[in-house]
Amino acid sequence: MKVPEKYYDEIFEFKGAWDVPSKCGLKIIDKGERKVVIVTELYQDNPGTSVTRAGRSLAEQACAAKGVDLASALYLECNPDTRSKLSFYDEEYFEVTFGGGTPSYRLLSPGEVKELLS
Amino acid sequence: MKLKLIYPRWQKLKGQTTFNLPPHGPVAFAATLPEEVEVSFTDENVEEIDFDEACDLVAISMMLSTQARRGWEIAARFRERGKQVIFGGIATMLHAEETLAHADSIFLGESEGRMEQVLEDWRRGALKKVYNYMARQPAIELVGPARRELYKRALYNHKGVQMVDLFHASRGCRFSCYPCAVSYLGGRVFRPRPMERVVEELATIENNRLFVVDNSLAQNKEWEKQLFREMIPFKKKWISHTIEDDPEILDLAARAGAWYVYQAIYDTSDYIKERVKRYHDHGIGVEGTILLGLDNQTEDDIKRLIDFLLEIDLDLAEFTIMTPFPHTKGYDDLLRENRIFDFDWDHYNAGQVVFHPKHMSANRLQELYDHAWESFYRDESQESKMFRLFCKVALREMNEGTYRARDRRLANRSFGKEVVRKNSVNEIKIS
Repeated sequence: MKVPEKYYDEIFEFKGAWDVPSKCGLKIIDKGERKVVIVTELYQDNPGTSVTRAGRSLAEQACAAKGVDLASALYLECNPDTRSKLSFYDEEYFEVTFGGGTPSYRLLSPGEVKELLS
Repeated sequence: MKLKLIYPRWQKLKGQTTFNLPPHGPVAFAATLPEEVEVSFTDENVEEIDFDEACDLVAISMMLSTQARRGWEIAARFRERGKQVIFGGIATMLHAEETLAHADSIFLGESEGRMEQVLEDWRRGALKKVYNYMARQPAIELVGPARRELYKRALYNHKGVQMVDLFHASRGCRFSCYPCAVSYLGGRVFRPRPMERVVEELATIENNRLFVVDNSLAQNKEWEKQLFREMIPFKKKWISHTIEDDPEILDLAARAGAWYVYQAIYDTSDYIKERVKRYHDHGIGVEGTILLGLDNQTEDDIKRLIDFLLEIDLDLAEFTIMTPFPHTKGYDDLLRENRIFDFDWDHYNAGQVVFHPKHMSANRLQELYDHAWESFYRDESQESKMFRLFCKVALREMNEGTYRARDRRLANRSFGKEVVRKNSVNEIKIS
């Protein structure tokens, strides 16, 4: 279940739950008025916490490292297509909003994904 | 000092045959304590806790999510009595943040080589709130024989038949399966114990029947072959999770005493059918483990799977409902889709639906789960199928001269409780 490199520009190392060293794919797209931050789950190549579990902590670490204002950015979590026979590993992008409590998620349509990545 | 070590009880699933196996986690943990520590162990699944027993420190070992809430209750009662309580074990790691609120201390990770420092902190009155070794696994060479002498053996006996002993030859797992948290708990690297330490531990186990609890034995072919070769002289019979699908390895496993395996049955393919047949061809029984409620299963798929199980000559089947345990991809996916409706960990027993399935209602999945158990065991009960498997192993042992007759003194007891026989043999109650 190797994640294709097309999903990320770099491997980002972050502190996961209980400080466990963790990795994700990271891509930042400059859309002019807004930056799009995409963190991609690496599955077998992530030795620690998943991007979803890491949640706001990962968002803050990634944005701090790259000088992006999280409050104004569009933050996305990506389940990459790993060419698995299992549908659980199909490609999906979620927009994540960090409110006061638990994050909320919205699944992006294929059209929205295409537009964002274009 | 005296340490009170507790393994909390959990609610067993309705309608299923219950056997209490001697838990492995607490005695593996006990082996990491300094020699001068006196340990008093209570498995609450088979005996009551004496909350007034004299002790200096209480350690609660939790494996299952369904033990968490009970573990917290136990901690509260000891803390009311002025005892400090430290938690450890798999479920502590899965539910660390919540457990922290009920504990004087939590230990995350594996305890080999770490307990001297923890106890020294306790002696100084400086027990830390969190001992975090999640990312720092100890050298696997440090894993020594579990302290099985702590078990009260008669409590793990059903009508004179001793339950299997649990044993492990490795930690970690190179796989990262959808519903499984093992990669979070034990690291994504397969860590085999040195073979001489495995052999050393096997030699200390009196029981001639084992459950090899490694996550999967199919991690490394050469290691697996070596393990089985080393196990052959012990003439033990054992249960395990999946064994590599390789004729040489299956042959070695059979010679090493493989009794039956837990094999995931995830589709109705010829491959699965042949896989089961290959185990049987080597004299190894198969208990199919069937996970229901995955997003790729419709109601018809589940019904077809149940029909398929009846065709492929499984020895036993165990049905579970997809359960989004924290730190699994399953949990992440369902959380993002806002499909988890129940966060009561007592319900995370793999027999209760706690999320909205994709292709049916939660109630319908619950009905199909009940239907699966009923259908598979309609013509022959679970007890009867288990008895057949038991007879097979007993015959093999008799042929090899390793069979041990059941303990007649315990013939009327089941897991420490008296078996009350009423008028008919079919009316047996455990008091």
